[in-house]
Amino acid sequence: MNDTIRIERLIDAFATLADTLVAGYDVIDLLQTLVENCHDLLDVDSAGILLANAEGRLEVVASTSEANTLVEIMQLDANAGPCMECFQTRAVVSLPDIDVDSSRWPDFSTTALAQGIHSVYAIPLRLRETTLGTLNLMRNERGELNTADIRAAQALADVATIGILQERTIRDASTLQDQLQRALSSRIIIEQAKGVVAETADVPIEAAFGLIRQYARSHQTSLSLVARRLVGRELRLGSGDGDRRAAG
Amino acid sequence: MLANDSFQLASDALSESHGRVSELARPFLRFLPVSGASVSTFGSLLGSETMSATDALAGRVDELQFDLGEGPCWDALASKRPVLESDLGTRTDVSWPAFLQEIRKEPIGAIFAFPLLFGPLEIGAVDLYSATPVSLSPQQQEQTQALTAIISRILLRHALNEADTPGETTTFSRRSIHQATGMVLAQLDTTAEDAHLIIRARAYAENRPMLAVAEDVIARKIRFSPLAEPGEDTQ
Repeated sequence: MNDTIRIERLIDAFATLADTLVAGYDVIDLLQTLVENCHDLLDVDSAGILLANAEGRLEVVASTSEANTLVEIMQLDANAGPCMECFQTRAVVSLPDIDVDSSRWPDFSTTALAQGIHSVYAIPLRLRETTLGTLNLMRNERGELNTADIRAAQALADVATIGILQERTIRDASTLQDQLQRALSSRIIIEQAKGVVAETADVPIEAAFGLIRQYARSHQTSLSLVARRLVGRELRLGSGDGDRRAAG
Repeated sequence: MLANDSFQLASDALSESHGRVSELARPFLRFLPVSGASVSTFGSLLGSETMSATDALAGRVDELQFDLGEGPCWDALASKRPVLESDLGTRTDVSWPAFLQEIRKEPIGAIFAFPLLFGPLEIGAVDLYSATPVSLSPQQQEQTQALTAIISRILLRHALNEADTPGETTTFSRRSIHQATGMVLAQLDTTAEDAHLIIRARAYAENRPMLAVAEDVIARKIRFSPLAEPGEDTQ
């Protein structure tokens, strides 16, 4: 896409995100929209957001593909990879060629290369002294991310940070950890809901997320709410209730 | 209604027992016309063991059935239905002749056995005896079954905690377990909590990591159905 169109789409994306923040939102939905924006607007092939749990370990809460392979790569990355380094050093980590540095994080490198991923860019989700997690961008090509994309990615990461922090109202006594835990718990219910739909609609787990997302969009409700209703058996999705394509 | 009040009390007592398995038999005496009760685990999943008995004779009823390998509790679990013998003295054509012969030496007039099941899993049985012949009303049977459902969950959780089952090791493996939990809860039309417990029990029964069972569920190699024997529906 040419630069003008891309800039327009970026502006649209930020306008939508700003509206979302004003109007009231679900954190998981916001983060999911963010990773999809990264995928659509930046020169990256996959993206994910990881948040720190109570033990300080990073967990994937949103990703552009629900395929277990991508999630596993990001989780390996979180345990020993650029993503972990980014979280610990609270600074951007760029790995323009995984091959070159593969001995440093062997498990992550082997799995990523096997899936055709050759470069990674990790941005901390940071507000002053606090680091909440990371935004991970992965590319199938070698090389640095271009400067314009880096700036846009940084801005999207900031929106994610604000979105997570903003959800708690000023007077709410809940701590940041409660906040993160809530997002991670919502993610658990979404995983369970994927299982429910895989069973009731008889589709692979990866396709189940697409159906849930489709339903949430067409009924203008949040992913978390749809997931909760599916797990509570108040809502049933068949394969005809959305398209079969996995998100991404 | 007094009967309902005592059932409510019994039910509350059970819910509040917080897994103290030695107390599980006592609540039945509060609302049923029986002299003693025992709760035991046996079957395809858990070892044969009396977990709770209100008196020595209740314990003896269990012990005899384990020793002989026959009796109302075995029939109850195999058929997944209560066995109701309201007058033991008049019975002749039972499927447990050896047990009948032994139990007639004891001061027992009636004996009842209710299966303990958790979804597709066999947990054990509740044995109830009365010194004199007596019948259980349909309502009393229903209330007993309601309590057995609570007891099954407590016993299963207890057994799994004792065994310290291997399972959730990494964040990534947890994701698969959550997905499998969703599939199982849809298969059995139950809660996420109970579905998770069933996957854990299956892992325990097969001495495998929970993740391995979860992956089999996702790959549709393992499927749970409410009436199937555990294991019978695999592959």
